[in-house]
Amino acid sequence: MNEVILSKSELIPIERSIQAELLLLLGQRPSHGYELIQRLNETSFKSGEADAATVYRNLRRMDKDGLIKSHWEVGESGPGRRLYELTIHGEESLKVWAQCIAQQKEKLENFMQAYLQFEISLSTRAKGVNVT
Amino acid sequence: MIGSNQTLRILHAGALERVVKKCLEHFTKQNPGLKFELEGVGSREGAKRLLAGEEYDIIALADQALFEELLVPKLVENYFVFAADQIVIGYNHSSRGSAEITSKNWADMLLKPQVTFARSDHHLDPCGYRTLMVWQLAEIFYDKPGLCSIMEDTSFPYSTYPKSLDLAGALSKGKVDYAFLYSSQTKQFGLPSIILPAKVNLSNPAYADFYNQAAVSLEGIMPSKSVIVHGKPIEFAIGIANGSEYYELSKSFIDLLTGLEGNLILEECGFIPC
Repeated sequence: MNEVILSKSELIPIERSIQAELLLLLGQRPSHGYELIQRLNETSFKSGEADAATVYRNLRRMDKDGLIKSHWEVGESGPGRRLYELTIHGEESLKVWAQCIAQQKEKLENFMQAYLQFEISLSTRAKGVNVT
Repeated sequence: MIGSNQTLRILHAGALERVVKKCLEHFTKQNPGLKFELEGVGSREGAKRLLAGEEYDIIALADQALFEELLVPKLVENYFVFAADQIVIGYNHSSRGSAEITSKNWADMLLKPQVTFARSDHHLDPCGYRTLMVWQLAEIFYDKPGLCSIMEDTSFPYSTYPKSLDLAGALSKGKVDYAFLYSSQTKQFGLPSIILPAKVNLSNPAYADFYNQAAVSLEGIMPSKSVIVHGKPIEFAIGIANGSEYYELSKSFIDLLTGLEGNLILEECGFIPC
């Protein structure tokens, strides 16, 4: 699983990065799907609007892969819901995701640095043209 | 070994008919000889039947809130959310205007002369009151004051279709051009549909506060007394009736529905397993 994450780290589509986001939220505290959708949409790091189908599909996939585990929790008031929590395997996977995202952040920062230099050179060139 | 005289009685939302039948195909293999009685109804009507004294072992409803409002704790102790869905506009290939209708112009298209559309009975069926909520939310979302009232006045009389399953059948037979249904129903009937914005279609818990603005007045336990129901994300739930003669069997059935096999069946039928 971790090898798969690293091998695809060149570009992380929303469908995959949502797994990292859900793992982090579940690392913070166990939650059921309904609450996770609400929490995910309140974060500043969500990749896009998280709809119910995408979140539940990813939860089932990660449950199957052993990154998270779940059980039915009977509500003290209100309905029983499937409660998800992070496994040790999931914690390891989250660390790999964090490394991968850090690499991407560095690449993006390098790109922005190069771009800003390019923008300065463009501006200088334009001034040069105006002077002549 | 199951005795030949054992009969498990299941009251289910009409929208869950295919799911329940498919689950029973699997369950019967594990429990040969077991008999079943199935009753598909509008979920609000179903909850009221229980209140009136009808006896069932398993209750599967299209709105989890009905358990809390009408059944817990007297008739059901615990209930579990097992599937989610959204409201869509189903149509068929002979529906008038089907080549032009989109998720942006649907309100204008449905209100054109000669175009017919329908919803199920909100007093009996959650899909009916959820449709009224969708119209109210659309009024806010698209900033179209009065839209909900116009839709109510223009649609088929609500009592025509007691439950959404009846309406889906009518749509597939071409008796109506457009119908407000669950997404799962249009998939099961092989019907095309218009997907509504997430802020309108009651699908996303992230918009629970926005949905809560919608409110519909329904007949209460006593027909003379009404209750106000607010919009919520669509969730289906299941529980075992207190005093069920077949508690363990009922629990096994719910375990199947909420387990891996059930999840596959729910997905096949167009639901989102929770």
